[in-house]
Amino acid sequence: MAAVGSCASGSGTTGSVGAAAASKNVTSFQRKGPRASGTDSGGSRLVSIAGTRPSVRNGQLLVSTGLPALDQLLGGGLAVGTVLLIEEDKYNVYSPLLFKYFLAEGIINGHTLLVASAKENPADILQELPAPLLDDNCKKEFDEDAGDHKAPDSNIKMKIAWRYQLLPKMEAGPVSSSRFGHYYDASKKIPPELLKASKWHGFFLPEKVPSTVNIEPCSLTHGYIELLRFIQKVIYEEGFDGSNPQKKQKNILRIGIQSLGSPLWGDDVCCTQHCASSHSLTKFLYVLRGLLRTSLSACIITMPTHLIQNKAIIARITNLSDTVVHLESFIGSDRETNPLYKDYHGLIHIRQIPRLNNLICDVSEVKDLAFKLKRKSFTIERLHLPPDLSDTVSRSSKQDLAEPAKLPGPGCGMTAGGKKHLDF
Amino acid sequence: MNSPPLSLGAGQQVMTPSKGVGERKIRRLEMLESVLALGGLVLLRDSVEWEGRSLLKALIKKSALRGEQVHVLGCEVSEEEFREGFDSSINSQLVYHDLFRDPLNWSKTGEALPGGPLGVLRAMCSRTGPGPVTIALDSLSWLLLHLPCTTVCQTLHALSHQDSRPGDSSPVEHVHVLGLLHGELHGPGPMGTLSALARTEVTLSGTRSQASAHILYRRPQQRPTHETHWFSILSDFGVDLQGVSPLKSQPHPDPLTPPVDPTTHLTFNLHLSKKEKEAKDSLTLPFQFSSEKQQALLCRGLGQATSHIFYEPDAYDDLDQEDPDDDLDI
Repeated sequence: MAAVGSCASGSGTTGSVGAAAASKNVTSFQRKGPRASGTDSGGSRLVSIAGTRPSVRNGQLLVSTGLPALDQLLGGGLAVGTVLLIEEDKYNVYSPLLFKYFLAEGIINGHTLLVASAKENPADILQELPAPLLDDNCKKEFDEDAGDHKAPDSNIKMKIAWRYQLLPKMEAGPVSSSRFGHYYDASKKIPPELLKASKWHGFFLPEKVPSTVNIEPCSLTHGYIELLRFIQKVIYEEGFDGSNPQKKQKNILRIGIQSLGSPLWGDDVCCTQHCASSHSLTKFLYVLRGLLRTSLSACIITMPTHLIQNKAIIARITNLSDTVVHLESFIGSDRETNPLYKDYHGLIHIRQIPRLNNLICDVSEVKDLAFKLKRKSFTIERLHLPPDLSDTVSRSSKQDLAEPAKLPGPGCGMTAGGKKHLDF
Repeated sequence: MNSPPLSLGAGQQVMTPSKGVGERKIRRLEMLESVLALGGLVLLRDSVEWEGRSLLKALIKKSALRGEQVHVLGCEVSEEEFREGFDSSINSQLVYHDLFRDPLNWSKTGEALPGGPLGVLRAMCSRTGPGPVTIALDSLSWLLLHLPCTTVCQTLHALSHQDSRPGDSSPVEHVHVLGLLHGELHGPGPMGTLSALARTEVTLSGTRSQASAHILYRRPQQRPTHETHWFSILSDFGVDLQGVSPLKSQPHPDPLTPPVDPTTHLTFNLHLSKKEKEAKDSLTLPFQFSSEKQQALLCRGLGQATSHIFYEPDAYDDLDQEDPDDDLDI
């Protein structure tokens, strides 16, 4: 794993505690030489990769998913070397957005991208990435988005708090920091000069010539084999697994795989319940995770799990992925007209968060999360039930109390009534 | 057989069922146009009670009249039966690939199509001309039963995204792939995957007397919309529309329960009248200094580096400057 080196160097120095040295210059704690193998050579060098930060919980190196709200729900971000699985919504309207935010975040941070799809050309996918919001106009964008137009109050002198006039204004909206997590404008496309400056590799399955090698049963389908070979080639050639030691500047590889498991990849897990190559998808995920764990890369996969007929396979896929997020949109369901959900477009369920070098994981206690696609941004909020303001709420209790008083009876009202309440 | 001479422009008004019979014919072909509008894969899902081949032939006729190239892959009925009902101009425009007579090439006369159904489809993937093309598959169910589902999906995807010219923003709109799918023959798996691939999905149903088509439009990256058309197909494969009920995809608010306004029946006043506002504005607050004093206080705060403490000692303070702890013995 690409763990920050504090734990690594700690384990190396325990062996060298000996007798206390006589002179004051040399301490008994001696640092081991730099590690020859692997990616976690020296903790300080990892932190300096652009667009990453160490997790405060377990020291893993995190990258942003492109949505700061989602980063917060996942415990700070997506750990390098893990897989984020997005279970697509039924009409595939919102999951491509999350996919694009992830890739756009990679471009802004200067990471290398690898985009794989069987449906669309990767060049077309990259053309449609959202444009980033820069510092100066991001607050204005968010005010417009919220819908209320606040009057500019910079030149209104404050009557009561006049001593604070000269203090600098605090930013009320989200500020896009240059280090981690950026905001995007979903209505605009990414400027082409940013795309030209970025480095990306595309994998479009219909363009790959099928090999004539016979594929034996219970093995990976052809599309998956080609994709794994391609990913392995990119990781090896570009040195993301530390294989090219002359490369000084470390970078992250962001892999995006669209609609994995759909029949366009050649996999019939969505078509039948008892498919011929039933282990193809699970084997692919296993091998992919192995590739990711030994390299500085993070992967996002969108999968149409609502089409998978065999529910046991969905459970296996969830176990084989690290972070699993399920999008459930309200389109076409009866929740669309439900007044409880009228402000939102769907629910988002965080199905799984990985336990990386840990016994517990960073699950947020908020379970009811809903998302909403506004004109410019995609927001994730906690689902609040509106207060029940109807008249019947308080009236029923008053009626119950009034009734025993009306009934005539020899004794006191309580015994005569005895209907529902026993008021003490 | 001749269609009445009507001008079918783009600016037709929305027809309500209460209008007269003569105006009903204005929107004859509008349903077919909307089905063919999006391009790509169009699924026609029919059933035993409501057959879809006549609607398929109506769509073929519409495309041929628009001047597109039409290819037909006939698998379920013979060529004579399929061509029945079309007039000669349309029949000459149809390019018919016959897989019904000899699908497995047993007669070995060389008339059968090479490669079977898959070979025919793959041959259609390489486009012959630059204009728009309509490919009618009669039926897609037959193909699903004879070929693996993944192969059919991949081939359909390649068929509908044929245009490899760079810089073409919408290659899909030039190609229409019309697939007839029989609903009872397939399980939820293949139906679901084909629905996910299709741009337009037409489901045929109806009441005792009237056929209806429920059309679902899946535009990419947008919310899907749907409509229901009531129609009947005439003998010349024109379509007679009896009504449209478009179902909007936006949710309607419930009209029965009006939203409760929480600002009614309060014991305090939420709004100020004009006089009250004036009185509020003219009230002097305790620490509200005049503007000169405000400026003086603020500017002094800026100019000074340190702050001053103004202290007035009272009677009990000891102002002895000597160290008060001197008399202690340590």
